[in-house]
Amino acid sequence: MYDVWKNALAEIEQQISAANFSTWFQDTNLISTENGEIKIGVKNSFYVKQLRNRYLNIITTALKNNNIEVNNVEFEVQTKVKSKVRPREVTKTSIDSLKNRVKSIRKSTPISTNNGLNQKYTLDNFIVGSNNDLAVSAAKSIIDSPGTRYNPFFLYGGPGLGKTHLVQAIGNELLKKNPSLKIFYTPISHFYSDFIDAIQTGKGKDFNRKFQKLDVLIIDDFQFIVNKEKSQEEFFNIFNDLYQLNKQIIVTSDRLPSQIKSVDERLASRLTWAGAFDLQLPKFEDKCAILRAKAELMGAEIEPEAIEYIAENVNTNIRDLEGEFSTILLMSEVRGLTPLELIENGSVSVNRSSKMRPTSPKQIVDKVAKYYNLTTKEMCSKSRIAHIKTARQVAMFILSKELGLSTNKIAAEVGVKDHTTVMHGVKKIEKDLKLNFTLRDQIEEIKEKIYG
Amino acid sequence: MKIKVTQEKLSKALNNVSRIAIGKVTLPILNNVLIRVEQKKVSLVTTNLDMAVIDFLPVSNSEDGVVTVPAKLLAEFVSNLPKGETIEIESKDTKVEIKAGKYSSTINGTIADDFPELPEIEEKNAVVYKVGIEEFKNSISQVIIASSNDLTRPALTGVYFNTYNNCLAIAATDGYRLTEKILIDKVESEVKAIVPSSSLQEVLRSINDDDEEIEISFNEDLVRFRLGEVEIVSKLIDASYPDYQKLIPKNNEIKVILNREELIRVTKLAALFARSVGGSIICEAKTPETFSVKSVANEYGENDSEINTPIEKDGRANFNSRFLIDALNSLESKEIEFEFSNHVSPAILRNKKDPKYTHIVMPLNS
Repeated sequence: MYDVWKNALAEIEQQISAANFSTWFQDTNLISTENGEIKIGVKNSFYVKQLRNRYLNIITTALKNNNIEVNNVEFEVQTKVKSKVRPREVTKTSIDSLKNRVKSIRKSTPISTNNGLNQKYTLDNFIVGSNNDLAVSAAKSIIDSPGTRYNPFFLYGGPGLGKTHLVQAIGNELLKKNPSLKIFYTPISHFYSDFIDAIQTGKGKDFNRKFQKLDVLIIDDFQFIVNKEKSQEEFFNIFNDLYQLNKQIIVTSDRLPSQIKSVDERLASRLTWAGAFDLQLPKFEDKCAILRAKAELMGAEIEPEAIEYIAENVNTNIRDLEGEFSTILLMSEVRGLTPLELIENGSVSVNRSSKMRPTSPKQIVDKVAKYYNLTTKEMCSKSRIAHIKTARQVAMFILSKELGLSTNKIAAEVGVKDHTTVMHGVKKIEKDLKLNFTLRDQIEEIKEKIYG
Repeated sequence: MKIKVTQEKLSKALNNVSRIAIGKVTLPILNNVLIRVEQKKVSLVTTNLDMAVIDFLPVSNSEDGVVTVPAKLLAEFVSNLPKGETIEIESKDTKVEIKAGKYSSTINGTIADDFPELPEIEEKNAVVYKVGIEEFKNSISQVIIASSNDLTRPALTGVYFNTYNNCLAIAATDGYRLTEKILIDKVESEVKAIVPSSSLQEVLRSINDDDEEIEISFNEDLVRFRLGEVEIVSKLIDASYPDYQKLIPKNNEIKVILNREELIRVTKLAALFARSVGGSIICEAKTPETFSVKSVANEYGENDSEINTPIEKDGRANFNSRFLIDALNSLESKEIEFEFSNHVSPAILRNKKDPKYTHIVMPLNS
């Protein structure tokens, strides 16, 4: 039906002036054509009379030329006409938001159903790319036969890469296949507070029983398990019970269990029995695919160049990527420019690093040395003792990534012989970063010190 | 078409209607004013397709006809003519001749056929209210400050006219504050309609000193304001308004009576130190009789002012100083009632012993 109206509009457009056409017909749509009773939606009542008195004949002819029977044409005020871009999800009413502001003090996350799953997360709207295809194929195999091959399913990766989305999607898909399954999703922090509540009210056994009845247990943000031995033991017991019964267990964390301090070794090794799957930072092509899918989902129009620009400039994670994307769409709605125009006239800047305070190479070198408990002189010496050498390489890495200095300049700053040494050092750290989470944390901490 | 009218009358009418006839570039005729003479009745009309302003101009002499002229040009020309002149406007096809004593000019107009026809309110189906002009002006100004500019939530960009308990109330909210005023105590017909704030602002600007009463008529998707010779017709916002009554807290624990001027002063003082923290200031009530307003700016220092007033219960809450000052400025009486509770519940501000106007401010998380 929509296409018929598009054809009709194309015909009308040729008969009247461009200004008239864009004023009167731009936001119209065809609501129904049943039995020749035509209903056309318009923006507000100012448009009704003009269209009826001036353009009725043109509209009727145009519709008839498209083989639509026309006996009577009605105009209806309809605000839900499609807008060019839809900004981020509009909250339903201000009441909701006002109330949430009040409630948010007491309650952190609203949970849609009592199994803790949020139905907006599905596998269909999870974009698969080279950064996550392994994890997704494992997820699919879990959906086909839970509790078998990938049990426990341990998923890890940095913030905003889709861990929660993927595990919630597993839960939702399983539930779709078999609605009688007992599935429970909880962040580990809620698990604690529930457990402590249960102990305080003397219902510790009920708590245990509740979990033992489950078919699928999904634990999110496992890294927050730190230093709570009693709860950890409880979790360990529940884990073991469910595992014995071949029930599916799914755990997410931002790093491997062996790298979380204070996780019991027994638990750590058990969690990765069936292997650990990681979600990595998306590559440029993946980011473009994500943004394109998101645009389609929101019904927004955005130029391919704008998508590429955003994809190229947001290098942190998918959540930031989507955040920037929504901001740009919102701004384009408000300003009445297309996203690309916004970017070209410099109204938006998505380059994250530009927000940070500039620092001098000297400061960075000092901070790195201090972090590793070395004097700057020690670190910039020719010493080849392992920890001093690593510190020096970290300093080179940060200088190169954060300030974009040339390798020769860096060589001068950290006192190494020539640029090849620097190139080697940077490459070494880059390679180590992929596997060595301690190093990743260290560099993050140093960066915080530099910019904080 | 021909009319004869004094400079003052014409200039005033043109100023009234020409404000909305600027800016819409898609359809050039919307920048024009329509001058229509029909059986000695003269009307000047402009529209931006969201609203229309119609001014019925009393004239001494006229001949039937209709023409459109660029509104801004005509308005500026007429306003620069000397006061007291009698102006004659005559159209020949689309040429419009304007003569005033020694001054004359010809403006190229457009034929009126392209000027959009305006929607009308059918009198028999309309819901009609009448309000004293002062009351209307005050009430709208008090309420409209809380309406939002956020185009993504269209409902909040308007003022909500609604009837309950046999009275007509108007309300606005932007999610951080909410205002409500009982406009008419006793009404018989019911209405629930969101009027765009921009249209109401236009109504406020059109009010003359000698107007006494305003007539407001609603139908399904239009509202019309009639004051003196001016009529303003506007679309309504087609959206559902939040059930704002639920937001007005019923039992705030801390109720204090404060001198309005004094509270404005201490709030402004505190606001100076609150700039670096987004305007957040702390209101604290301490028994038996200390009400204090504080703010802390880490780099500049801090501020702490006290007002003596009887207090029954201790408590404190943070507010945005700008919203608080807006609220206090929109109140009128010497003493005001200020109700709040510890942190979570919104604060209510009212004139003392006058429940008609309610201003609500959300506390800030602290």
